[in-house]
Amino acid sequence: MNVLDINDLSIDFPTSKGVVHAVSHFSLSVPKGRRVGFIGESGSGKTTTALAAMRMLAAPGFVAGGSIRLNGVGGTDLLGLSDEEMRRVRLRRISYIPQGAMNSLNPVMRVETQIWDGIVAHEGHVEPGELQRRSREVLAGVGLEPHVGQLYPHELSGGMKQRVCIAIGVCLQPDLIIADEPTSALDVITQRHVMQTLREVQDKIGAGLILIGHDMGLMAQSVDDLAVMRLGELVEFGDVRQILENPRHPYTRELISSVPLVGGDSFLDSTPRAPEVQTDTGAPPLLEFRNVSRRYGAVTALHPMSFRLDGAVPQIISIVGQSGSGKSTMGGLMLGFNTPSTGEVLFKGQDINALGGAAALTFRKEVQAVFQDPYACFNPFYRVNHALKFPFKRFGLARDEAHVTTAMEEACVAVGLDPSLVLNRYPHQLSGGQRQRLIVARALMLSPKLLIADEPVSMVDASLRATILKNIHDLKDKHGISILYITHDLATAYHVSDYVMVLYHGHVVEAGPPKEVIGHPQHAYTRLLIDSIPWPDMDRDWGSAADARADLEELDRISQRPETVYRGDVPGFHLAQA
Amino acid sequence: MADHSTPNAAGAQTPDLTARQIRRMKRFDNPWRNPKLIWGAGLLLGIVAMGILGRIFWDPDLVFTGSGLTRQPPVGLENLRGQVGTWAHPLGTDGAGRDVLALLIIGAPNSLFVGVLASLIGMSIGIFLGFSAGFIRGRVDDVIRVLSDVMITIPPLLILVVFQAAYGDISLTMMAILIACFVWQSPTRLIRAQVLSMRESGYVQMARLSGASTMHIMFREMMPNLVPYLFGSFIANVTTSIVTAVGLEVLGLGPQRIPTLGRTIYEAINSGALIQNLYWWWGIPTILLALMFIGLLLINLGLDEVSNPRLRKL
Repeated sequence: MNVLDINDLSIDFPTSKGVVHAVSHFSLSVPKGRRVGFIGESGSGKTTTALAAMRMLAAPGFVAGGSIRLNGVGGTDLLGLSDEEMRRVRLRRISYIPQGAMNSLNPVMRVETQIWDGIVAHEGHVEPGELQRRSREVLAGVGLEPHVGQLYPHELSGGMKQRVCIAIGVCLQPDLIIADEPTSALDVITQRHVMQTLREVQDKIGAGLILIGHDMGLMAQSVDDLAVMRLGELVEFGDVRQILENPRHPYTRELISSVPLVGGDSFLDSTPRAPEVQTDTGAPPLLEFRNVSRRYGAVTALHPMSFRLDGAVPQIISIVGQSGSGKSTMGGLMLGFNTPSTGEVLFKGQDINALGGAAALTFRKEVQAVFQDPYACFNPFYRVNHALKFPFKRFGLARDEAHVTTAMEEACVAVGLDPSLVLNRYPHQLSGGQRQRLIVARALMLSPKLLIADEPVSMVDASLRATILKNIHDLKDKHGISILYITHDLATAYHVSDYVMVLYHGHVVEAGPPKEVIGHPQHAYTRLLIDSIPWPDMDRDWGSAADARADLEELDRISQRPETVYRGDVPGFHLAQA
Repeated sequence: MADHSTPNAAGAQTPDLTARQIRRMKRFDNPWRNPKLIWGAGLLLGIVAMGILGRIFWDPDLVFTGSGLTRQPPVGLENLRGQVGTWAHPLGTDGAGRDVLALLIIGAPNSLFVGVLASLIGMSIGIFLGFSAGFIRGRVDDVIRVLSDVMITIPPLLILVVFQAAYGDISLTMMAILIACFVWQSPTRLIRAQVLSMRESGYVQMARLSGASTMHIMFREMMPNLVPYLFGSFIANVTTSIVTAVGLEVLGLGPQRIPTLGRTIYEAINSGALIQNLYWWWGIPTILLALMFIGLLLINLGLDEVSNPRLRKL
């Protein structure tokens, strides 16, 4: 028995440049108690479809054709209901768990009051005692203590807030739950816990679930059926195991293959060069941390640490950690955007915070960066070539105008962009992937000695991640640039790096070659991180919510006394933690 | 869309797009072709044009005392003494026989001039202090922030009344400078806030990585993106400045020998125009002021829509 039948649905957005078909001829059914995943890249129409089922499409979008039938209300077409009838359907029949729970809860209302709101809106007056009982019950269902109901949203962590949103979504036991990227802002460990909670609750009330996401691994661990969407069309639909193991559509294959796996085949087809025999030249190391720490008031973002990167042979050093582990602080320290509380950061033997004039300019030329957000890195006022042209001239690399143009074009070609298509555009006219590749091209043009890549692919669609990482990897292989790769993604760190440091609460907990650290982790935290990654593999199960809870408690325990596990050295890099 | 689509925003039904709607949507391709902006600019330019054309086609010397009979009504109206307006003074004359039309031709652009000049000076101070506070931070920021916060709490009219009462007659420029001392605070705060958030943005970081100087970052990277805010703030300041200037003039504290709209209203009130029902005497300058404010408001609303596309409606 199906909960929801979407039949030949088309959704159009009229714009001044013509009508955009956000969704075209989409048909799908959600059976009772079954979990259906919608996967696709940004702009594929997956959220738009779900919002249409809630009748919450943003203007000027409208349903151009088709029907959405909900069997809980006698199989009537939702699109024909009046506003008042639709209000009764929302939450009672279909509930929606939004993306970014942080912003979805009312900051000035207690959690339980927000749960009561939904109940009262649908059932009229309910006795306070009864409300209290029901909110406690539903909070317990998502694994939260009863006293959480008395708290305000700012007193909860991100994972708890997301679970409160789930509690609100299931408090009226709807027929269908739509969860729109419910874990996109959470780290992997919390993500596992929240997803398992959602799965358990949904099992208990027997509702259908539509899970919207872009992560093939998360889908493999969470849903029964998978719908692959691309440019508003359903390209493949079927059992998740069948799709993962035997994808029919080339796009599905592309999506699956773009997920890097620890231990799987590398997406980089470069042959690793044997490290050249190192002769100790006595030259100062490229980058050195001497007992560097960083405190913000009472919080220590980075505990004293020392390392030395020789840079004679280009290497990729990965710094891995969750949000708040201090990895971006390290990046800021290396770029001189942030000053250490103790110790000093040395570049070629000179303290980077004491450089002046010409020396500072040289330092800037030799240490470049790629940042996380490709949307913010271009000044919207200028064409994108400004970002490439300006530093090139500023560092005195340009001989004349023609030389600048040639250099820009060569750099674009090297990262696989067509210079005539991208260089003279404004940033908003380019996609995120194109912009991020332009930033890599910019680094390439300046040929620095060291590149700090701070989460360079976390905001780029999955299919492009491999390409951009390949571009970055080429910087090392073909252009001899040493790279510090800062990331939360263990799988990509496994493939690209020569040395990995796992950071937790400002401590290095495990460090060594990636095959050791990520392939065979020894520290409890590293193991937990790797276990929490949702693998796009049906036979590698995530475990139950109880496991996840036990792991979180384990994490609390180890955070008290972090210790470093050294897993071997690579030539040219030395780490020591005070 | 109101006349075509059903009330539900979910869009259950297809709104059929008429040619008019498509034309309205096309308008957003160029945000500067905003009707509010165009109408507002038109009104202000009209007042400037009146000042220029008036000097050519009318005699500006008629602003002097005794240019005609006193308290004449405009054409088509009659005053208490039963005199009928003549074409020699189409808008009548005031209590000293000055021609009201000439007063407006000279006075309206003067009022606008005071507002624009005061706002320009205030904005320049605001841009300088706002950028300094937001970009340099630390002590400089503390000093500028406290200073502007303190200045915001002082009512400008009070200080100006005391100042003008003590110094007597002043020039238009002097008045603009005095008013400027009270309109730099809000642009300072606005720009400081924008600079504070912008200095953490990706492109500013990129510019720092590119070895850009502080001046380059402030004026080449940040400033162009602030232009819509600066314009909006400028226009709002012109409004405030004109209100302050007219307020002073109506109290009789503005320039004594230069015709302005506020001064004309002051003289009308002072000569008993309200009791004698000579409503055109104070009414016509008031209408001009109202038009000026409506023009400024429309420009401000238009600029808001230009800089914030979400406010644009179909």
